[in-house]
Amino acid sequence: MVDLSRRAVLAGSAAVAIPGVARAQAGKPRLTMITQWSAGSDGAAITALGKLFEQNGGIWQHSPVPGFTTDMMNKLRAEIMAGDPPAASQLKGPEIAAWSKIAPTVDLDGVVAAAGYEAFVAPELAALHKPYGHWIALPLQLYRINTLFASKKAMDKVGATKLPGTWAEFNDLAGKMKAAGIIPLANGGIRWDDGMKWEIALNGISPAAYRKAVMELDTDALMGPEVLAAFEQTRKLADWMNPSIAAQSWSVQVAPFIRGEMGMVLMGGWAQGNIINGGFTFADFLSGPAPQDNGRASYIMNADAFIFWQQKAADLQAGQQLFAKLIMQLPTQEMYSHITGSIPVRTDADLSGTGWSDAQRSSAQGLKDAVKEKQVVLSLAHNMAQPNPITAAMIDVLTEFVHNKDLQPKEAQQRLADAIDSAR
Amino acid sequence: MPRDDFAERVREAPRRRRFWDAILPALAIWPPLILSAGHVVVFTLWTAWLSFTPSTLLPEAGYVGWHNYTNVMGTRNFHVAYVNLVIFGVCFVVATSALGLLLAILLDQRVRGENVFRTIFLYPMAISFVVTGTIWSWLLNPGIGIQRLVQGWGWTGFRFDWLVDRDMAIYTLVIAGAWQAAGFAMALFLAGLRSVDGEIIKAAQIDGAGAWRIYRRVVLPTMGPIVLAVMVILLQMAIKTFDLVRALTGGGPGIATNMPATVVYDFMFQRGQIGRGAAAAMLMLLALVVVIVPYQLYQRWRGRSA
Repeated sequence: MVDLSRRAVLAGSAAVAIPGVARAQAGKPRLTMITQWSAGSDGAAITALGKLFEQNGGIWQHSPVPGFTTDMMNKLRAEIMAGDPPAASQLKGPEIAAWSKIAPTVDLDGVVAAAGYEAFVAPELAALHKPYGHWIALPLQLYRINTLFASKKAMDKVGATKLPGTWAEFNDLAGKMKAAGIIPLANGGIRWDDGMKWEIALNGISPAAYRKAVMELDTDALMGPEVLAAFEQTRKLADWMNPSIAAQSWSVQVAPFIRGEMGMVLMGGWAQGNIINGGFTFADFLSGPAPQDNGRASYIMNADAFIFWQQKAADLQAGQQLFAKLIMQLPTQEMYSHITGSIPVRTDADLSGTGWSDAQRSSAQGLKDAVKEKQVVLSLAHNMAQPNPITAAMIDVLTEFVHNKDLQPKEAQQRLADAIDSAR
Repeated sequence: MPRDDFAERVREAPRRRRFWDAILPALAIWPPLILSAGHVVVFTLWTAWLSFTPSTLLPEAGYVGWHNYTNVMGTRNFHVAYVNLVIFGVCFVVATSALGLLLAILLDQRVRGENVFRTIFLYPMAISFVVTGTIWSWLLNPGIGIQRLVQGWGWTGFRFDWLVDRDMAIYTLVIAGAWQAAGFAMALFLAGLRSVDGEIIKAAQIDGAGAWRIYRRVVLPTMGPIVLAVMVILLQMAIKTFDLVRALTGGGPGIATNMPATVVYDFMFQRGQIGRGAAAAMLMLLALVVVIVPYQLYQRWRGRSA
C-alpha cells in the first residue's frame, strides 16, 4: 500500500479540479495508477518502481485492486465510465486495443522514438502496444510460457539426466515415471492451466501452426493436422496429471514435486518463484524450454504492460512522460525482473551478471534465439493472443477436453472451431 | 372566549397526535419500499435494455434484436448450466427439506438442551457460501479429505472422488448446499410443528395413535403451506447459486458444474460482453419468475378461498 497524507490527497484532488492550480503546481509530475499487484513479489516490485519514480522527482499514487485481473478491470471500467481514468493502468495483450476504443489514450510515439526503444522490442510484442499504429502502452516484463521444470529426485529415480527435447522424448520419460509410481505431471485444476497445456503442446509441435490457428484464427489451420496432434498430445498430458487436483493452483503441489512424488511441471517462468518461495533451492529441480519438435528455439510470450489514459491536468501529463521514460530504461526493467523472476522486455538485456537465475537466463536466451528463428508467439491462456471473448470461448473447449476423457480429439477440434465462430 | 380557546386546544391535541400516529408508519414503510422497489425495477429494466444492445466493455446504445439471446442459448456453457440447474435444483430442494424436516421432528421431541442443538444446526446458515464451499472443497478433495482419511484407516479401496469426477461433481454442490441450508429449513419446520394445535394431538393420543402415526396423519398434513414455502425459498436459492460454485468447484472439472449465475458472471466480467451477460441474466430472471409467479398465484388463490 502506498501511504498518502491527507494533505497530499487534498492537494491532488484540488489539482485535478482546477487546471490553473495544477499548472501552478506542475513542478512535480504526478502519476495515478491502478494494478492488481498488491502482495508478494508483484507487490514488492511495483512498490520499488514507485520509489524509483519518486526518486526521479515524481508523486506516485498507486491504488492496487487485489484479486483477479477482472476485479482490476471492473475498477478501471468504473473509473472510465465516471470520466476519470487513472494516468496509467495495468492492461495486456489485445485488451489494449479493445479498451483503447472506449476512452482516449496517450500517443507515446514521441517519447518512444526519443528513446530509440522500438529496436529493442520483439516485433510481436511491439504490435500489441501500438494497435492502431501509435504507441499507447508500454510493456514492463516478460515471461516464457513454454517452460519445463523437472523434479531432481523424480529424474534420479528413473535414471534420467536431461530434460526431454521433443514430445516423443517427453512421453517416453513420463511413461517411465508413471511406471515408477510417480505422478508425471503436476498441474493446476484451473481453466487457464488446462488451456496452457494445450498451447504448449501445439507450439511444441509447430509454432507456425500456432501462429495461424491461435493468433490468426485461420480455419484451415484450426482444422489442420497440427492442431489435431496438439489435442492428442494434450490427452496424453491429461492422463498423466494428478487426478486429485480440483480447482486449486498447481503450486499446492510444490512440496510433493520436489520430494519426487510428481515428476514435471509445464508452467510459465514464474513457477521458479513458487518453488524458491516454497523454501527449495535450484539444486532441487531442472528447468528449460518445453519440448519443441522442430528443434529450433520458440517462445510463447506473456507480457505485463501499462496503458496510458489521456489526462487534462499538466502534472499528470508530465508524470506520464516521466513514467514512460523510466520503464523503457534497461536498469528499471532489470530491477523489476530481479524482484518478480521475469525477464526484461529489452532484447539487449544482459543476464550474465549476478542476481539472475539460470531459468531467467534460459528464458532470455530463448527469446533472443526465437526472435532470430521467427518463432515467437503470443500466449492464448494468458490473454495475449486473442481478446477475452474469443479466449474464454476457446478455453471452455480446452478445459472440457482435459477433464472429459470421452471427448475425442477430432470432435474437440471441431468444437474449438465452432466455439470461435460463435464468439466472433 | 379564552375558555373556548382552551377547549379548542384540548380537542386539537389528540387530533394532532392521531395525525402523526396515522402518518408515521407510512413514513417508515413507504420511502424504503419505494427506494428498493425502484432499485429492483430500474435495474431490471436497465438490464433488459442492455440485453438488446451490442454492448461489450461498456454499455452502448444500439439494437441487435434477439441476437444476444440466441448467441447465449447456443453456447455449451448455457446448456451445461441449465441441465445442472435442474439436477441441482431438484436434489438440493429434496435433500435439504428432508434433512430439515428430520432434524425438526427430532428436536420436537422436547429433548434436553434443545436450544444448543438448534443453534448448532442453524449455525451453518450464519456463514457465507464461500466459507462453506472452501471447507467442503477440502473435505471432498480425494487427495487430502475424506477419501484420504478413510484410506488411511486401512480401507485402501475406498473411493469418494466426486469432486474431480465430471459426472458427479454437481452432487458435491448438493451436499455442501444441503449442509448449509438444512438448519434454515429445520427452523421453519420446527415453527410449523409447534404451531399445530395441542388439543388435536391430545385427541389423537387418546384415540391410541402412536407418535409416528400422529406425525404422519395429524401433524404433517397441517404443515402443507410451510413445506411449500420452504421449497420455494430453497428453489430460488438454487437458481441464484453462485458463490458456492466459485468456492467449491470453480465451475469445474472443465465446465461441468457451471450454473446460470456463473454463466452471467462469465459473460459480463470475464469476457467483457455486457450485452450477452445481460441476456443471460434476463434468462435467469425468467427461471425465477417461473418459480415465484405460480407460487404467488397459489397463495392468492388460497387466501381467497379460505
